[in-house]
Amino acid sequence: MTGQAPTPVQMERQRQRARRYTRPGFLIQLALLACLVAGPMLMPSFRVMDLVAKIMIFAVAVASFDIILGYTGIISFAHGMFFGLGAYSVALICHYSQPVQYHHLLLAGLLAALISAVVAVVISALSLRVKAIFFAMVTLAVAEFCHILGYQWSSLTKGEDGVSFKLPGVFNADWSGGSLWGTQINGRLLVYYLILVVAVLLFVGLVRFVRSPVGRVLKAIRDNEQRATALGYRVFRYRVLSTVFGSLVSSLCGALFAMWLSYVNPDTVLGTPLMLNILLMVIIGGLGTVYGGILGAAFIKIAETWLPDLQKLALSLWPKVEFMQRLAERWILLFGILYILSVLFFPKGVVGTLRDRAEVRRLRRLGRP
Amino acid sequence: MDVLNLAHGAFFAWGAYAGFAVLNALNGLGWVETGTLGQGILSVLLALLAALAIGGVLGLFLERVIIQRVYGDHLKQILITMGASMVLAEVIKVLWSPNNQTVLVPLSFTGSYDVMDVVINKFRVVAIVVGLAVYAGVMAVMQKTKLGIIIRAGVENREVVQTLGYNINRIFTGVFMAGAALAAVGGSMWGIFREQITPAMGDENLIFALIVVIIGGMGSVTGSFLGACMVGLAFNYVAYLVPKLALGANILIMVIILLIKPWGLMGREQ
Amino acid sequence: MPEAILSLAGVHTHLGQHHILQGVSLEAARGRATVLLGRNGAGKSTTLRTVMGLTPASAGSVVFDGRAIEKARPYAVARAGVGFVPEDQAVLRGLTVEENFRLAMLQESPEAWAKLDTIFELFADLKKFWRAKAGVLSGGQKQMLAIARAFVGDHKLLLIDEPSKGLAPIVVDHLIASLNQLKQHTTIILVEQNFHLASQVGSDYFILDDGRVVHSGLMKALVDDEGLKQSSA
Ligand SMILES: Nc1ncnc2c1ncn2[C@@H]1O[C@H](COP(=O)(O)OP(=O)(O)OP(=O)(O)O)[C@@H](O)[C@H]1O
Ligand SMILES: [Mg+2]
Repeated sequence: MTGQAPTPVQMERQRQRARRYTRPGFLIQLALLACLVAGPMLMPSFRVMDLVAKIMIFAVAVASFDIILGYTGIISFAHGMFFGLGAYSVALICHYSQPVQYHHLLLAGLLAALISAVVAVVISALSLRVKAIFFAMVTLAVAEFCHILGYQWSSLTKGEDGVSFKLPGVFNADWSGGSLWGTQINGRLLVYYLILVVAVLLFVGLVRFVRSPVGRVLKAIRDNEQRATALGYRVFRYRVLSTVFGSLVSSLCGALFAMWLSYVNPDTVLGTPLMLNILLMVIIGGLGTVYGGILGAAFIKIAETWLPDLQKLALSLWPKVEFMQRLAERWILLFGILYILSVLFFPKGVVGTLRDRAEVRRLRRLGRP
Repeated sequence: MDVLNLAHGAFFAWGAYAGFAVLNALNGLGWVETGTLGQGILSVLLALLAALAIGGVLGLFLERVIIQRVYGDHLKQILITMGASMVLAEVIKVLWSPNNQTVLVPLSFTGSYDVMDVVINKFRVVAIVVGLAVYAGVMAVMQKTKLGIIIRAGVENREVVQTLGYNINRIFTGVFMAGAALAAVGGSMWGIFREQITPAMGDENLIFALIVVIIGGMGSVTGSFLGACMVGLAFNYVAYLVPKLALGANILIMVIILLIKPWGLMGREQ
Repeated sequence: MPEAILSLAGVHTHLGQHHILQGVSLEAARGRATVLLGRNGAGKSTTLRTVMGLTPASAGSVVFDGRAIEKARPYAVARAGVGFVPEDQAVLRGLTVEENFRLAMLQESPEAWAKLDTIFELFADLKKFWRAKAGVLSGGQKQMLAIARAFVGDHKLLLIDEPSKGLAPIVVDHLIASLNQLKQHTTIILVEQNFHLASQVGSDYFILDDGRVVHSGLMKALVDDEGLKQSSA
């Protein structure tokens, strides 16, 4: 290409490259990152920090689910299970190694990645050749199996009681390192920053993945499988690749989640409510957008923190009516209804709808009627 | 019907709770635990009837309000029926309670027959007979009757069937209702058999149903029948040897079958 | 001019964002065969599908046998007496040939079964494959089945989309004979690219282009008018 005038496409690319650091999207990302870093210093409230840490973890988990569902068009009901596998890897290794050390965390992370990769490869190799429906059914069965296993293999998992454990060294909740500019430096805070770093890295990895050539092939497959096959892409391999990648990220999110809580049990990290939450977040955020994961996770997690207050309100309004009390306890019911409504009437989610609007505006600017 | 309905487990649970409620109410009349044989049989029949009705009504509602909007879109079908199943299970928890309930069963239905030293649970016999009857009935309707032809044709191509003068939407609603009603009856029988029901029973049984259908091959009643036999036998056999591995054994069978025949035993490539 | 059994007035049809039919008006006279001609993509199939209610009209009126049917659902249109043979051999592959026929009979009356004998004379292959799955038939045999299926029903009006597609010339000749026979008791609207068949069967014609009727008249006149024939092909 040397010595030749750049083509219009290349010129457009260069122009976009030059604007890369001044785009509004980039600035928003920067601001968000700054808030996440400075947040605990400026607002030393545990409740807020807890909320933000969970949102970060779930944003990545949901974005990784979006790789499978939104970008590849496959429904995996095992995403929650992979999350749980990661969580249990950390919990069990930290619980059973005395004394627990830093390399155990690393080991747990590797184990989580390894197990989830192997399981994902096996499941998808078995069932992805057939219709997407089959994959959904198989993952649902396997996920439910793991959930039950979590209960019943009590010699290892302690069943319903769950596993509580201590993190090594500076990540231990009891560790304290004095204070810096008026902020307590303790194990919790360091775990928060660990989560922040890992979550940002994973998220960047996900965004890179969908923008890579592989990501484009996945979109091509989703939109028209036959055409992609005819173009010579090995559809099956790409599907397996994306499923395995998404599942692996999910298990790492689970590992972070377990570290944050220092506790896991089958219902919170393996059960169907978790899966429903992830589904709800991805639908609300918008399928096939990756960034939607952040919004979806934030919305649901914030709602979850506020719901207990709403319950109290409901209880104070109808103190005697037992039926109302039971209704107030069942916030999953509300989420379920919200979920159905959004699948029916808001299928593109927040980010998807916004992008559509932006696209329409862009076309209009280009002078189309 | 080319609709993947993950809410089937919820119909199952609703049937069980409907039967439970009816038996409870009838027990107030003294029919169930202390009644005569006739009253016992009648109350079980009423329980099954209630399950049939509730299953039909729920099926009608779900099909008309939700599923009809997403025909032809498998992804949305799966997503939405998953949500519906969740909501239905939660409503059970609101109406009754999140905890286990004990089902009152007429005395004449508990206990067992003793045939040449083999002890056979009475209700199990009833269940097997009903199961076989349903299988035979479904097969006969699908293969021999005009309705069966219309349904099979509709699964393949709704548009053509419509242009031949059949209101396929209404027919499919009916099929969906029938499926839901059958699931509910199955649920209430299960409840009576186990004498214990929980809101989560739908999910648990859905897993079995899914494994059965995966093994048997989708869209094949005979395949499902074969699958059910395999799953049932394996489950009970393993449950007898190593109780905790029973479900694992079924997953293993599923994996092996999928390795040999990716479309299931009787499934056809599409 | 005999009374019209079907008349379209200013019919517009949208498919998604696309405005396909842009004001189609035409009339089919009772007891005659009307042929729709036009380039590929002119909107012929869409016109038939709109009459059937498969792609409902967004504006305009469709009157069949004195009844407005532009809002009717496909099954209701079919029950009112309109038979439809779609373009793409819409036989039900999972059903046997026999079941395909049973499906086509709204009432399985003895008269309907009696019609089968004439059908077997026309399309002997169908008898041979009576109990075979329709999926195993060859392309031409499927086309025969799709047409024959429309014959067993009791229709006042038959909409047939490109029946000659994929049929051997000898079979096309049979088809012409049978369509002419059918004309005795049914009105036919035919979309056809095979001008030989169209001219042998049709009595009136309409030429569509870009979703509008651009020409119409008696088939006889069209056969004599070489220039117009060129432009319609
Ligand atoms: N589902 C659809 N969405 C958008 N446009 C469509 C759709 N179906 C058909 N069209 C367009 O509508 C126009 C008319 O199609 P139609 O099938 O009626 O043509 P036709 O006259 O039957 O052509 P042919 O002779 O090839 O069968 C075509 O330009 C086609 O591209
Ligand atoms: Mg056409």
